[in-house]
Amino acid sequence: MKKLLLSLLLASPSLLFAQGSQVNTQSQKAVGMAGAGSALFIDEASIFYSPGALSKMDGNGISVGASAVMYRSAFREYNSTEIHDTKFKITPPFSVFATFGPKNSWWKAGIGVYTPFGGSVDWGTDWPGKYELNHLQMRAIYIQPTLSFKLTENFGIGGGFVYNVGLVDLSRSLPVSMADGSSGQANLSGTGTGTGYNIGIHYHLENNVALSLSYRSKVITKLKDGDAEFSVPSSLAASFPNTTFNAELPLPASFNFGISFPASTKVDIAADATFIGYDIYKSLDFDYADNTPVLQDTHQEKKYENAFSGKVGINYRTCEDLTLRAGVGYVFSPVRGPYVSPETPDNNRVMASAGFTYLLSDKWDLTAAYVFQQMQARTVTNKASGLSGTYKTNIHAPGISLTYKW
Amino acid sequence: MKRFNNTIKVYLGIISLSLTAYSCAPEIDSYESSAGSDVDFSTYIAIGNSLTAGFADGGLYLEGQQVAFPNLIAEQLKNVGGGNFNSPFFSEEQRNGSGYLQLKSLTDGQPVMEQITSNLAYREAGKLTKYTGEIQNYGVPGMRVDLAYVPQFGGLNMYFERLLSDAEVNAKSYFDFVTTRDHSFFSFWLGNNDILGYAMNGAYETVGDATTTFTSVTTFTNGYGGFINKLTENEKKGVVATIPDVTAIPFFTTVTTDRLKAGVEASTGGAFKEIYISTASGPRIATAEDLFTLSFPTDTLGKTSNGIQYYGLTPLNPLHDRFVIDKDEVVEIAGRVNAFNTVIKQVAESKQLAIADAHAYLNKVKTTGVSYNGINVSAAFIQGNAFSLDGIHLTPIGNALIANLFIDAINTKYNARVPKVDVTKYRGVKYP
Repeated sequence: MKKLLLSLLLASPSLLFAQGSQVNTQSQKAVGMAGAGSALFIDEASIFYSPGALSKMDGNGISVGASAVMYRSAFREYNSTEIHDTKFKITPPFSVFATFGPKNSWWKAGIGVYTPFGGSVDWGTDWPGKYELNHLQMRAIYIQPTLSFKLTENFGIGGGFVYNVGLVDLSRSLPVSMADGSSGQANLSGTGTGTGYNIGIHYHLENNVALSLSYRSKVITKLKDGDAEFSVPSSLAASFPNTTFNAELPLPASFNFGISFPASTKVDIAADATFIGYDIYKSLDFDYADNTPVLQDTHQEKKYENAFSGKVGINYRTCEDLTLRAGVGYVFSPVRGPYVSPETPDNNRVMASAGFTYLLSDKWDLTAAYVFQQMQARTVTNKASGLSGTYKTNIHAPGISLTYKW
Repeated sequence: MKRFNNTIKVYLGIISLSLTAYSCAPEIDSYESSAGSDVDFSTYIAIGNSLTAGFADGGLYLEGQQVAFPNLIAEQLKNVGGGNFNSPFFSEEQRNGSGYLQLKSLTDGQPVMEQITSNLAYREAGKLTKYTGEIQNYGVPGMRVDLAYVPQFGGLNMYFERLLSDAEVNAKSYFDFVTTRDHSFFSFWLGNNDILGYAMNGAYETVGDATTTFTSVTTFTNGYGGFINKLTENEKKGVVATIPDVTAIPFFTTVTTDRLKAGVEASTGGAFKEIYISTASGPRIATAEDLFTLSFPTDTLGKTSNGIQYYGLTPLNPLHDRFVIDKDEVVEIAGRVNAFNTVIKQVAESKQLAIADAHAYLNKVKTTGVSYNGINVSAAFIQGNAFSLDGIHLTPIGNALIANLFIDAINTKYNARVPKVDVTKYRGVKYP
């Protein structure tokens, strides 16, 4: 007669493509200048950085590049001596850009396949935030066919359609004890798609000052029928049925302004300012196909703010064959303190970079770059879970790309 | 190409330099521990009852002993000068100690339990294997303030008996046993059983059973004050805790009048709808304010007892007073708890001791619940995460939370910075 209906509450899982996951490594030339250079570089990567500049390319090119993003976070819970590090993981964002069209023409076509958002963070199952997150892996792959037109010798305009494939895989511990005393676990994984666009204009002044404006739209990625699997004690299996879920991931729009000007015959300086429309990320909602008293659809507030980043870089052509680059940047976080979570323990960050391009031959270029980003230490209390402590994150991202021109 | 190679070397140099400089994991400022002012944590002893001993799931067993809140505190005190902390652990071979309850299954949401009977620590019936090593955790299940001064209690309580030498049994009181040791700091949490022994017996004093005595405020005041006076000799410092309300623990809040009524109505096809209880003013219908114990044998309801039919279902055959705390007794007990807590706070303040207000904390757990890094903690039985399968004693999560309550009290009182326990390392009730 002891009727004791169990009602374990399952907090909503956290999941997003956030600022912390945005690593712009589409062009290693721009990486070498800390992300600046949308106005300066006129090449196949303009498909991403400045579609209006694409039509100003003389010939055609194809470039293939990849970075090794090493994202390391550390956490110390408030009033605790223990420091927890994320495991060493390398995320390899890649990009492929190719252009097509007649030489020295008024138009150019191109296609880009690149990963503007992505990351991998693994805190493990033995840290104070394990009920928020064990591991998260995610990647957004954008496929962008693009057309660009030269309206005058100095003025180019372009635009592309973006098709996104998003992949997500995350796990978190559940506060139920198995017979051996360990915690249960939830695993969520899925893929989704979304669409958007990328438009821009590029303008050259007579004195070789160049301006670039571009707008990348938001891409609402809908995850459909993702797999939700639960490792729980068998007596609770009925409360945690393996099921599917739907969720929406809003990838923010960004508006970018770039400028470049020659400082001497060999030196160019470029600066970029980017506004990122993160305020579309208001909440994260999970809709499970099967609900139980325990497994309810969830709604989690995110309340992101719009973000801004500023980057400035220098491009130095030492001689015919070799160009050296360096840059610095600053990124304001869109995440308010109470919404900082272990998936991307975000904060304002500083960036410093260096890079070079070497002309291997008339046809081949090799570009390499290295960017280091440091997020300032941030002490927060998460509104949903109450997890309270200090996060600090370093990101190292060496990268390399190879270009073939014709 | 030679120049290119040189450039590559330069860049590789820069890259490896930056990797070395920052290594890969970021550095976070470490926590600055501090023992605070005028406190010496080098020899910490814990005095108390089953909660201090790590009793859980209706028994004392090794896993429970290892996560007893004083043991968790002692581990943290090592950051601020704390020394070794020995507990009378059962051996690995006898790890299941007295035996304990585990959850066997959940059938329609109802817990089915079973008793663990292997690897026990009995040397003979009712007597546990003796522990002879050094002790800093002096927690003894069943210990009370009044009985702490009774030398014969060692002969009656197997958990105390196991700590005593043969010569000390029936000859040495708990008070004498623990106050003759060296200590520099202590935790003291006694008094619960001076209330609970009576309450668990349905607010009924069984004649001849001293563990069901409802300790008077006078006895408590003298006993408590005397104990603390002795422990604080030579300006020794410590932390004490208040006594929780009985209504804060699932032992008294799980079997409710409504649940019993619903069960009776269903099993008698609606012939009976009420529960009748015995009170000081005669039999009456049970209300939602009357509390039943978790140990109430529900299968006796409706049976014939003492030759009368329908036990508990008619005013002619009401439930025995032993199984229910009627609402007047609830008030009486709450009043006594408050009186004891007033004494505890007065004594603690006069001796400059830290006070862990377990009474307030467990009331908060009961009323609003507590959320800790994604763990929801409430006073609900089994799924509340705080209380073990006996409905009285703490789970490892509960012990970790209580350890932090004590640490907070110590830090506040003595201006110390003792680091907190990471509660997520500990479990709630194990599910099959």
